[in-house]
Amino acid sequence: MSDLRMWLKFATQNTLRNRRRSLVTVSIAALGTAAILLAGGFALSTYEALAQAAARTTGHLILGTPEQFARDEDTPLQYGLDGVAALRAQLLADQAVRQVLPRVEFSGLISNGDKSTVMMATGVEPDSEFAVKGPFLTITAGHVLASGSQDAEIMLGEGLARSLKATPGSSLTLLASTTEGAMNALDVRVKGIFSTGVPDIDKRLVYTDIATAQKLLVTQRVTSLGVFLDRMESTGPAQQRLAAQFPQLAVQSWTDQAFFYRSVRALYNRIFGALGLIIGVIVVFVVTNAMAMAIIERTREIGTLRALGTLPSQLLRTLALEGMVLGGVGALAGAALSLGISLLLYVVPVNMPPPPGRSVGYPLNISIDPLLYAATLAAMVLLTMLASSWVARKTVHLPVVDALAHT
Amino acid sequence: MNALHHPVVALHGVYKTYRLGQHVVPALQGVDLSVQRGELLALTGPSGSGKSTLLNLCGLIDTPDSGEIVLSGQPVGALNENQRTLLRRDALGFVFQSFNLVPVMTVAENVDYPLFLVGVPLAERRERVAAQLAAVGLQDHAQHRPDALSGGQRQRVAIARALIKRPRLVIADEPTASLDSHTADQVLDLMRERGHAEGAAFVIATHDSRLTRRCDRVLALLDGRIQ
Repeated sequence: MSDLRMWLKFATQNTLRNRRRSLVTVSIAALGTAAILLAGGFALSTYEALAQAAARTTGHLILGTPEQFARDEDTPLQYGLDGVAALRAQLLADQAVRQVLPRVEFSGLISNGDKSTVMMATGVEPDSEFAVKGPFLTITAGHVLASGSQDAEIMLGEGLARSLKATPGSSLTLLASTTEGAMNALDVRVKGIFSTGVPDIDKRLVYTDIATAQKLLVTQRVTSLGVFLDRMESTGPAQQRLAAQFPQLAVQSWTDQAFFYRSVRALYNRIFGALGLIIGVIVVFVVTNAMAMAIIERTREIGTLRALGTLPSQLLRTLALEGMVLGGVGALAGAALSLGISLLLYVVPVNMPPPPGRSVGYPLNISIDPLLYAATLAAMVLLTMLASSWVARKTVHLPVVDALAHT
Repeated sequence: MNALHHPVVALHGVYKTYRLGQHVVPALQGVDLSVQRGELLALTGPSGSGKSTLLNLCGLIDTPDSGEIVLSGQPVGALNENQRTLLRRDALGFVFQSFNLVPVMTVAENVDYPLFLVGVPLAERRERVAAQLAAVGLQDHAQHRPDALSGGQRQRVAIARALIKRPRLVIADEPTASLDSHTADQVLDLMRERGHAEGAAFVIATHDSRLTRRCDRVLALLDGRIQ
C-alpha cells in the first residue's frame, strides 16, 4: 500500500512538471467527460420521459386476446375481450394494480353533413382515463368528456375539428362498421377539442366514451384492458404474475407497444454511442500526445531510474498512474461540470424547440445517473492509463545506455 | 568462499564493438580487470578510449560481445534484463557526471529512492536517509528540490543516493567534471571517506588528475585496451 502511495506521489509530481501541458490535457479530459455525461444524461432523460409517456398512454400492461396482438381483424372487435367487468375485478385484486382501463379502438368516418373524413377513434372511460393519465391532452376548446353523460359525446383533435369546422356543441355523425360487418351511424355532440402535440394525430383522432363506441359498433366487447401499476418497476413481475393468472389471454408490456420509444432509444443509443466513442478517441489522443512528449523529455531520467534498479514494469506502472492522474482529475472535473449544469437546469429551466412532427417543445432535462457517472469515470481512467502505458512501453524497455545517452 | 573473498567485479577477456552506420568501432578489445572490495579505481584515457564502455559493462547496464563479467563471484552473462536490473538494484550504485537527480523529488526522496526499490521499511528508510544526508552535510537541505542546490551539493546528493543501500560497487562517470576545483576536492574527499565507511569499491572514469592522484589504483585505457 505504501509502495502504491509512493508511486502515486511520484506520478502526481511528474504531472506537475509541465503545468500548462497538464492543464490542457486535464481540460480536454474534463470537457470530454462532461460532454459524454451531458449527452448520456440527456438521452437517459429522454428515455425516461418517453417511457413514462408510453406507459401512461397504453398502461404498463395491456391485456387482450392473443389474436388481438397477432392477427388483423376482419371486422371491428373480432378478437375483442368479453366479460370485462369480471376481468377488471380480478385484475384490481392484484397488489400492484392501481387501475384497469378498458379501451375500444376503431376507425371509420366522421361527417358534418357536408364533409366526411377518416377518423381513428378510441372509446375510453373518461373519468378514470383522465384521472389516471393526468393532463396528457391539451384542451384547446370546450371540456373533457365525463363519464355517465346521457348524450353521445366526443372530443376531436384540433386538426380534425378545423377540417370539419366543428366547435364545442357542434353535431357530427360517426360512421363505422359494426362487429357484424354492417355499417352503422351515430349522431354525436362535440364536447371538447384537444391537441396531442402531434399535428398528424390531431388530424385523425377522436375520443369518445366506451358506451358510445360500443353502441356504434353494436357490441359489449372492448379491444383491450390497460393495466396501470403502482410504479414502472412493477411491470416485469406483474406481467409474469398476470400471464400465469390469465393463461388464455396475452399480456403485453408497454415496451411491446411503444414503437416510438424503441425507435428513439435505438437511434439515440447509436448517436450518443458514436459521440462517446469520438470523444473517447480525442481524449485518448490528447493524453497519448501529452504523455509521449513527457516521456521523450524524460528518457534520460528513465535511463537513470533503470540504472538504479527500477524494473520496466515499475516504470510502466508509474507512467500509467501518471496518465491515470491526468485522466482521473480531468474526469472528476468533467463530472463536476456535468453535475453543475444538470442541477442548474432544474433551477433555470431551458425549453427545447418542438421535435420534428410535433407542435410543442419540451423542457431540457439531464438525468444524473450514478451508473453513467461511474462507468464514464472508470472508462476515462482506464483509457488514459492504457494510453500512457502504450506510449511508455518502448521507452521503458530501451537499453539503459541508450536511454542515458538520450539528449 | 563467500562474496567477501571474491573481487567485487572481475572482467575476463571482454570485447565490445559498436556499429556506426557501415562501420564497426571496437570499444574494448580483450579487457581483463579485477576490482577489490573498498578499492578506488580510476580509469583514465582520452575520449573514445573505452572508459565509459568499461563503466557501463561493470555497472551491468550494457553487455559485452564476448568475454565474461563476474560480480562478487556471480557470472552475469546468463542473466536476463530483469535479473540484471535487480542485481543493479541490490549491489550497485551510480554517480553520473551531470548528477541525474530526479527533479520532482526532494533531496531526501532522491536519496531514499534506492532503499524504496529494495523494499526497506519506511521507518528504517527515514533513519538511514537522515544519517546519509548528515554524512554528506546536507541534512538541512532534505526537503529542497535539486534545482535549489549548487552543483557540488547535487553531486553530494548523488553520492548519498549511490551509497545509501551500501552497494558493493559504485560506478562513477566523470563525477567531478561539472564541478569547480574546490567543490571537486570536497566531492573526492566525500567519495573516499564514504566509500571506505560503507566498504564500497569505486570504479571512476575521469580526466581529472587531482582525482587520480587520490585513488588506490589508476588504469589508463587507449583504443579499448588497458595500458
